[in-house]
Formats: sequence, C-alpha cells, structure tokens
Amino acid sequence: MSQLKLIGGAIAALALAACASQPVTETVEQTIVETVAPPALKVDVHKGDFAEIQQFVTPGGISVWLVSEPSIPILSLEMAWKGGETSDPEGLEGLSESVTYNMNEGAGDLDSLAFQTRMQDLNMSFGCSVGRDWTSCSSSMLTDNAQDAIDLIATAFTAPRFDDGPFDRYKREAQIGIKQRETSANWLASTAMANALYPDHPYARQTTAESIEALTPDLARERMRQMMVKDRLLVTAVGAVSPEDLAPMLDKAFADLPETSALDVAPDVVLPPAVPAPIIVDLPQPQSLVMFSGPGLARKDPDFFAAYVLNYTVGGGGFESRLMKTLRVDKGLTYGIYTGLSTSDHLNTWGGGGQTKNESAGEFLAGIRDELSQFVADGVTPEELSDAKAYLTGSYALGFDSNAKIADQMMTIRQEDLGIDYFDTRNANMEAVTLEDVNRISAQYLSPDNFTYVIVGEPEGIE
Amino acid sequence: MKRIITGGLLALAFMVPGAQADDSGWAPEAFVLDNGMEVVVVPDHRAPVVTHMVWYKVGAVDEDEGKSGLAHLFEHVMFKETENLGPEEFTTIVQRNGGQLNAFTSWDYTAYFERVAKPQLRRMMELEAERMRNLKINDDPEGPFISERDVVKEERRQRIDNNPGVILQEQVLSEFWKGHPYEITVIGKMDEVARLSPEDGMAFYKKYYSPENAILVVVGDVEPEEVRVMAEDVYGKIEPTGTVDGTRKWAPVPLLTKNDRIVHSDPKVRQPSWSRYYNGVSQVRDRHAAFALDVGLEVLGGGMTSRLYQALVEDQKIAINVNTYAWTGLHDAGPAVIAASPVDGVTLDELETAVMAEVRKVLAEGFTDAEVERARNSLAASAIYARDSQSTMANEFGSTLALGGTIDDILDYPDDVRAITTEEAIAAVRQVFAEDRHYIEAELVPAEGDQ
Repeated sequence: MSQLKLIGGAIAALALAACASQPVTETVEQTIVETVAPPALKVDVHKGDFAEIQQFVTPGGISVWLVSEPSIPILSLEMAWKGGETSDPEGLEGLSESVTYNMNEGAGDLDSLAFQTRMQDLNMSFGCSVGRDWTSCSSSMLTDNAQDAIDLIATAFTAPRFDDGPFDRYKREAQIGIKQRETSANWLASTAMANALYPDHPYARQTTAESIEALTPDLARERMRQMMVKDRLLVTAVGAVSPEDLAPMLDKAFADLPETSALDVAPDVVLPPAVPAPIIVDLPQPQSLVMFSGPGLARKDPDFFAAYVLNYTVGGGGFESRLMKTLRVDKGLTYGIYTGLSTSDHLNTWGGGGQTKNESAGEFLAGIRDELSQFVADGVTPEELSDAKAYLTGSYALGFDSNAKIADQMMTIRQEDLGIDYFDTRNANMEAVTLEDVNRISAQYLSPDNFTYVIVGEPEGIE
Repeated sequence: MKRIITGGLLALAFMVPGAQADDSGWAPEAFVLDNGMEVVVVPDHRAPVVTHMVWYKVGAVDEDEGKSGLAHLFEHVMFKETENLGPEEFTTIVQRNGGQLNAFTSWDYTAYFERVAKPQLRRMMELEAERMRNLKINDDPEGPFISERDVVKEERRQRIDNNPGVILQEQVLSEFWKGHPYEITVIGKMDEVARLSPEDGMAFYKKYYSPENAILVVVGDVEPEEVRVMAEDVYGKIEPTGTVDGTRKWAPVPLLTKNDRIVHSDPKVRQPSWSRYYNGVSQVRDRHAAFALDVGLEVLGGGMTSRLYQALVEDQKIAINVNTYAWTGLHDAGPAVIAASPVDGVTLDELETAVMAEVRKVLAEGFTDAEVERARNSLAASAIYARDSQSTMANEFGSTLALGGTIDDILDYPDDVRAITTEEAIAAVRQVFAEDRHYIEAELVPAEGDQ
C-alpha cells in the first residue's frame, strides 16, 4: 500500500520538474520510473575555504546544499522548515512537539515498533524536533544503504500514522516533563526571565497539563501538514553521495508534502527596561543559579561581529574571559560562568549565567555587575581584542571536521540567510572589528543596569 | 568551558568502543618512543585540524586513603603554572593559537587535550611536554591551589549535590564498590577535597607524571610518520622519572553478598524512579563476556524495541521508561543495571514486581536470533559512526590503551561483537540477573508531604 503511494509520488515529482526543464513522457505507469532519463541537474559548486558546497534544486523543487565527502561511509542529512512552536494555537501548546515526537513512531504499513525496528536494521537514525521558530529533522545513515534509509524517511513524510499508542505515550511523557520542570533551575530561571521581560509574547507560552490533554492525533496530522511544506524546506547533506544520487531520493521523500501553508507570524518582542531588583525563585539546593539577560543584536546587525568578538572577552572565551578569570580563577566562586549572544526571529538578547554556593550568591552577583561596569568604563585592551580575534578566527576550522558538524553549519547559515560565502568571509569580518567598535558596543550594551537578573536557589546576601 | 569528569558518575556507562569501517584507507598506527611513551596516530584528512591528547595512566583509583579527589583536583592544577609558563598562560597560548582545550579525570585515567589547526600541532606538543615535567604548584595558603579547591567544591555541588538522582547514584555506587577504590566518586568527598594541600599535589605529580606513564594520541590531518618524528623530537627528549612503578590499585570486584535498598527522598524529586544494581563484568577482565552482556542487555532493555520497553511501557503501560545497561568500560567490573520509572498511580513496589516478572519471563524464554543480530549490528555500526568525530576517536583509542589494551582491540570490535551468539547473549544476562545473585535496589522519591 505505502509502496504504491511512494512510487506514484516519485512520478509526480519527475513530471512536475519536467515542465520546468526538459520534456519527459507524462505517463503514470509504474514501470516508467526505470525508463525515464533523470533530468540533468544544475549544480552550482561553491569552492569555499572550509567546504566545497554543491547547491542545487531537485526536479521536485527541493533546495539542497551538499558537501560530498567520500572518505567515511556516513551520510548526515538535515532538514528544516521555518515555523515552530510559536505558531501553535492558543490552548494547544505542545501540538508541534507532538508532531515531531511522532515522526519516527510509525508510517505506512509500519507501526511504531516496526518503524523503530526497521531503523535498527538499517543502522540509521531519524528524528525531528521543534523550537520557537524552526521545525527540524535530522538523519544519519550508512551510505551502503542510504537508498533504503531515505525510503523509510519517505514513508514518514508521505504516510505518517500518528497511532494512538505512541501519541498517548507522548502525552504521558509530556505531563511528567511538566511536573519535573518545576524543580529544574534552568527552566525556572528562563521562565522567570520570560515572564519578567515579555509575558504576553508567544515566546513566553508554555505547555500546560490542560494543553497537553487537549492534543489529539487528528490535530497533529493537520498540524504536520502546516509545518512541513515544500516551499519552506531547507536541506543540507554531507557524505559519500553525489547530487545526482541524492536528488531523486529526496524527491521521493518529500513528494507528498503540501506546496505551502500559512502560519501565524509573531510580532517582535519589544524589551522593557531591565527589572531593577534581582528576581528570586526559591529552589531547595546547595547552589544558586544566577542568570542575566539584556538587549542584544540581530544576526544581521552591522555591529554583530563586533559584539561577538567583544563577548569572547566578557564571558564567551572560557578561561580567557574576564568573568571566568575573576569569579572562577581568582575568587573560586564558581565552576563556570559564561555569556553569549542569543538571536531568534523576534528577540535578540545578550546574557549569561553561572552557579555558586548559596552562601556566596551576593558576592557572585556583585562580581558580575562589577565586571560588566568595567567594560563600560574602560572597554577592552588592544591585547584582549587581538586574543579574541586570534581564537575566533583560528579555531573556526574546528567546526568543519565532521560530516555532522558541516551539515549543521550549513543549515545554520541557510536558516539565518547569511549567504553561501559566509564561511569564507566570516573570519575577515572578525578581523575587521576595531577597538573603537568593541568599546562603543561595551558602553552601549554592557551596563549592569541593562540586565535583568534571576536567581534560583536559596541565595544569601542579595539586597 | 568545563572540565569534564567522564568517570565522575555517569559518563563511562556510555563508552562505546569504536572501530574500523570496511573501507581500506583507514589505518591507525601505534608505536612506542624510546622513553616508554606510547603513541597512537589516527589519520583523518577531512579537515586541516588535529586533536592532540596526552593520557596518563593514573586516576582516582590511585589516590591514598583520605585523599579522595586528588587526581581530579590535580588535573585542574595542571593548567596553572610551570617553570616556563606563567599563571594561566597555558590556556592563553592555546586559545591565542586558535585551539580548544580541556581535560578530564576518571577512576582509571587522566587525559588532557587540545584541538588545533594542523600547523599548531608541534606547539601543542611543546606545551604538554612542558607541563609533563616542569609544573609549579604555588603553596601560598591563599593562592591559586586553594582557590582551585574551592572551584572543585563548586563543581561537586553543580554535578552531584544539586541533583537528587546523582546523589542517590553516588550512595548506591559507594555501597556497590564497598572496599574497592571505585567506592569513592572521582570528584572526591567534600571534606577530603577541602583538606588537599599543594604538597599532596606535588607528590602526586612526581609519582605519576612521566613519559613512561603517558600515551600520546593524535587524530586528524596527519600521517603516522610525521607524528613519530615530531613526537620523538618533543616528547622523546623527556627522561623518564623512574618513579612510576606501574602498579595500579585495580582489584577484582567481589560479588554482592546481600540485598540492599537505598532510598533517597528529596523535595526536588517530581518523578519517582526505581533501579537495581547487580554485579556486571568488564571488557578488560573478560572481553567476550562483556560483549555478550552488552548485546544481551541491548535486547532486554536497550531501547524502544527492547523486550522490557515493549512489555512495560507499550503494552502494560506501567512504566514511563525502562532500560538495562552495564558499565563494561571500566577496568574493573561495574554494575549491570535495570532501571524504570512508573506512570502516574503506579507505586515503586508495583513497578518492581512488574519489571522483575517480565525480566524472569524473558530470561526463561530466551532471545530470538533476529533480535540478537539486530543488537549486534547496532553496536558494530556505532563504531562506524564514531569515526565522524575526532574527539570520539581520540577518546576511544586513549582510554583503551590507558586500560592496557591495544589498537587491535578497537579495530576488531565490530567483528568481535558480531561473533556473539544468541546463546552467549542470553547466558550472559541470565548469569548477571540470576536468582542467587544479590543486588542493591535504589529508589528516588519525593520528600514526605511533597507533591
């Protein structure tokens, strides 16, 4: 049953493509698949410094970035669609997650156990997840049986089952997750932060016992057809495969996806002034988690690179960052403290955090504020700036030493729409950052009063 | 950046040996320098980067009575200062050269690594060689050794004391390995860590840090011959201290002699869980038996397709999760564990009864050839996937050699695991969970009056 549907799907894809490029006999008999010559694939090769990227659009209309890597018999495949949890309907929080959870829980003739068993037989992985703004699927397979592996993925997209068994299991697990998060320091901190800074924005919405209870397989089926559509699909792949081999496999996998859909778009968050006093959330444990967050920069802000370089010296550079040097190395107050820039479609923040014993929470918080103040007052030294650039540019190649990492990196620049030459220009953009740039940004963003502080634990010494 | 303790409490359970794919171009090599330092080179030319590691055959097992946590604290101190490098300068130099670095300590070994662009490899060797020989430990009573001790205390709070499940696991493992050096967790007891002195650190350094007690692992865009030349030039010049006698405090782990039950209740617990710890086996002490146990536990409770998951989560809907696993990667035998968490409304006693009934049923019925073959192939395939990561490869080669193994142990893994028969897999599981075997039961529950 599902096999027939698949073959039909593949023919439809070839026929569609034929209109755009070259004539193909429009026959719908199954045997035609073997006799039709594959349409010539137009592949743009970008020979970059870190990867040779082959860009192409499959006959079925799927946009792919591929790095062919013959030396290791593994294919890493990443898929992503714009649109995520933020567009879940009110009162149905968790709906998108119920879709992604169930994508490897049965399709076509295969129930959950049969699908999982088939994945094991093929020694492959396939799973999906959803965040605020994006829905993603990821797969690893052995190139020896890539065709079979992608055929299985194809059934998940063309004939997902959403059986009651795994769907109810998702709901049971989600309900337990809702109870467990109540004592997770990180969840409590980020939730308190969201409620303080953007309580009415979709980004602050959470699943509830009621919203999980309201989910049904029918709602999930419908939701899947909104989330996973052709015109928002991005694909990246790395492995021992050519564009000509991969294109028909992908077309078969995605043939039955709807062409497009309309999803609600959330407004941008407008951050209010920082909350003046630390927000304290009680949690019985020996340490206090201190989390802080303030306004940040969009990925395409002209100052983004400068902020990124600056962040290395603030708290992004491990032991080379000032927060780490002062609060860990000199004072022994923490095992680790970090800062980072966070970007998303509707909110950009600059923040960080770390943990210290409850008794030293006050000293820890004061230390953070003090370090931030010094950035505003004095900026960074020329040596700090050159160290930051040296690390950030020198270490960039380390992110390209595995198939999985390269597939991820390509997906990130596709999602952020940074351009295919991003990898090649990124280090030069880092190098171009000046001391004036970082010190201007220090003054603009790093005042301790720009940040809202949340402390989870049983902190002492907080005024 | 974080210092990882892979042996801490959890991570070693997931150590999977890696191995060679069918492609012929892949040829890891091992050799020994004149001063006794072992070297492993694993070429991977996909990117112009290398992972450089130095492993020392010393870990928490080797600590003296009352000095728990010394191996790990010492590992932190290795980043501090040497005769030719100022305080914290080691890290500055590595990062200034575009390198990432870290280190970790287990019961069985201590390892340091740098990941860099290939042209920096020699500089990394020079840095590790420097701290192999010329470490300085500041004995100022308010100095960096003392503040690092405070850092480790914070690390302990963060890794263990904040987490009810880990607190329970620490108690259970302490009971499980009573009388064996693994009895104390790698990070050490809080009060003993607080008393460690700079003198303890220096004595430890002098006793164990020497080329004949070290293994160099280089994975990445290199050929064995160029690494040999470079390593001879940099590490080969270091004279062995002669203080390493090669003895370790490893010992056979005796079988438990009675059943025990440890309950940890905590206001942070929102979901109860239950587990049983039985005596397992180790790959080092009995490779074939350990692989048979790994395969058998994969079939019994290794994942969603396993017997226990299908029976208890899918059919009976008594458990929200159930699994079985064994810590076969330590030098000495670790536990074989059955673990489960109940759905709402099911007590831990009811869960235990249901889980053990199912275990007995499966052990009585035996496994099918098809499910054993599937488990074998999954484990063997993990060796191919492991090759996608330089760090994973470096860790597998380093840890195997640190435990006394050879690179063939890794290269042969897929064939060896595929050689496990259905009979061997079921026999291994029947043995560890036999009715006359004792166990420790662990229960994690919400604090009284909570919920």
